[in-house]
Amino acid sequence: MKKLILPLSILGLGLVLTAFSFVKSGKSSGDLEISIDKVATIMPAAHNVYANKDALNGKYYLFKAKITNTTSNTLEDVTVKYQVPGFIEWTELDVIGEMHPGQTASVICYPKFNEDITKKTTESREKAEIEISWDGIDEDDVVEEEFTFRISNRNEYMFTNIPAEEIAGWADVYNNDALLACFVTPNDPIVQYYTQNIQEKILKGETASVTKDPKEAVRFLTGIYQATLQSHMVYSGTKGIPESLQDVSKFSQHNRLPREIITGNTGLCLELSLLYASVLSNAGLEPIIFLVPGHAYPGFKLNNQYFAIEATGIGGEGLGSIMTAEQAFMKGQEQLTKFIEAAQNGDPRYTIVDVHAVNQEGATPMSLPDDQFLRKKVDDIVASWSNSSESLGYVATTTTSGGTNNGGGSSGGSSNSGGGSSSGLSFTIPQGWQTYSNPSNSAIPIWTAQVVSPNQEVMVSIFDVQASSATQTLQIVESNLANAGSYIQYQINGNQVVGMTNSSTGNTLSWVGKTVKGPKGMRLVAVATYDYLYQQNSGVLNQIFNSIR
Amino acid sequence: MKTLLNILFISLSLSLFAQQSQQKIEMKIDSIGNAKITVSMNMNAQQWQIWSSSVGNNPAALKREVERGMPAYFLEDFKLDKDDMNRSFTLNFKALGVCKIDKKGDWIFETDQKNAQLTELTDKKYMLVSSPPEFGGTVQQTYIVEFPEAAKSVKTDSDAFGKTIFKFKMDGPSGSLNLARWAGIFLIVVGGAWSGRQFFS
Repeated sequence: MKKLILPLSILGLGLVLTAFSFVKSGKSSGDLEISIDKVATIMPAAHNVYANKDALNGKYYLFKAKITNTTSNTLEDVTVKYQVPGFIEWTELDVIGEMHPGQTASVICYPKFNEDITKKTTESREKAEIEISWDGIDEDDVVEEEFTFRISNRNEYMFTNIPAEEIAGWADVYNNDALLACFVTPNDPIVQYYTQNIQEKILKGETASVTKDPKEAVRFLTGIYQATLQSHMVYSGTKGIPESLQDVSKFSQHNRLPREIITGNTGLCLELSLLYASVLSNAGLEPIIFLVPGHAYPGFKLNNQYFAIEATGIGGEGLGSIMTAEQAFMKGQEQLTKFIEAAQNGDPRYTIVDVHAVNQEGATPMSLPDDQFLRKKVDDIVASWSNSSESLGYVATTTTSGGTNNGGGSSGGSSNSGGGSSSGLSFTIPQGWQTYSNPSNSAIPIWTAQVVSPNQEVMVSIFDVQASSATQTLQIVESNLANAGSYIQYQINGNQVVGMTNSSTGNTLSWVGKTVKGPKGMRLVAVATYDYLYQQNSGVLNQIFNSIR
Repeated sequence: MKTLLNILFISLSLSLFAQQSQQKIEMKIDSIGNAKITVSMNMNAQQWQIWSSSVGNNPAALKREVERGMPAYFLEDFKLDKDDMNRSFTLNFKALGVCKIDKKGDWIFETDQKNAQLTELTDKKYMLVSSPPEFGGTVQQTYIVEFPEAAKSVKTDSDAFGKTIFKFKMDGPSGSLNLARWAGIFLIVVGGAWSGRQFFS
């Protein structure tokens, strides 16, 4: 009998293991492995972004869940639901037809908050509840998870959603900059009303978005400044823009909305930039917000050129100096030159928010309802404009004399109407084309002039270099453009050149040109158009190419 | 697959160069819907310098950028191999749950692209060549998607939003993974045989 103890023990162990395996596999509940990756804060202003899986590459979500089937059974119709009590009712996120043993599913939640979340003026801590169930599961065995997160007030803008300990560089600090576009509210009825009043009362009519004339657009920009100046809007500070990577306290900012800036008659740099961007966008221009260490200022992009204004030049009587619109614009342009220099040198603290570009990527503005009380306040502000004829004088002067930078914008050049022919630039300029001298504002010193067609599709660039051959000329042009962030490829055939340019703005231009004798030695005249427009503009290109002499 | 395009954002500066760049992205899907992804690329001297200074010499930053660029997935097992002499790199990682089974029991793999121009290499291997406009057409990406051996009837279709998807049939993993049960049966057989022998001897 003694000799049977060991084999019988093995037999018994085998029976226990077999029985256990059946017991274990029969019980599939509670054996899903769940891992939740959640967001820390939801910004109500960006609720449209969180709701859209295609917005900004889907990087803004409430949570994502990694669900792994660690049972030995295949689970059918695995259903994931969630709710945020008080904000979102139980919503089905995903139904996975089958989950095999060992299989993992990634379920991501883009929460659809109601529009009224934009009325939220206080922050709160909320709870998200998640339920995971599948066919045949007992009610008691439904997997439940929950976590808390913060919903900020509608005015809070967080510069980054990366935890402070993870911040490695300025790209991390400005990780959310696209979301600034959510605070730009061109469709807000109050902003629209304010814009209409600027167009009517300050500018006495404007055509910037129709003519695409830089001079007219600059007049509009300075008109906004004039409006804020005449309503005695003042600059007022609050937590500002981060200046260093350790500046954690400034990684979020309370932004008054454009309508609140208009009616409150006060704003700090970023808020004023949002106001300008809203008004510019409403008027059909392409607003840009320039972010630099500790500061922000607004501007716009037209014909691939940037323009800027120092919106905080309004200062305030308590702060001392107050800039005129002209001074504010000149200051903005000065800052813009430094900005471009810094950006070209690769300083990551200098970034722009191209509002319309990020709108297209899904960072859409919050919608705000009309408000009769606020309209009345706009009326009161507009009434104050007509009491100040002195200030209006500047705008009138600008209108008649073109006293501001004439279309060169960031490039600081001057313009002419380009009517008729010109021998000065070694080719015939067609009627109605605009000529800009020194278009890069000396950033590319050899770039003498640029002539642009009325529809902005064809450009002729003239480069004057100290060289004695076509090859040498092209080498110098290539090197100068590379320093400015643009790269060219070309082929030379005698004095004729064919090439492509990848500009620092991301555009690809196809061009043909000739090298001719110039004032400094050699001159390159290149006729360019966007590569996708090459076919349709080839006739114009040939015409100008043939006129180069 | 769209999310994969963002791998290139980690080396955004590459788009500045007119020279055409090639990037190869291979996705090998396993029998439970996870994918092993291999990204490889050769660069010119200037591109290599920029890539190395931004993320190439900081694999943690590279991992984080890839994770941010592919928010829909859980990624793990990152491995970066650099060949400085030839200015090339190979990045391997695993993406969990890239395929799901729908209510009809079909496995679904979403490309996230409308009218994706696919080339069928074999019945389980497809290729997609794209030139993302955000890089000015200077970067050519070649995707190769390989479905598992067990996949059957692989075909392309469109989802409700008109985006191209792959559909295929595949049986789940066999139940042979239950080690406890097989160990138990083995012990019963061994114990039973041994007991019988001892009993009758």
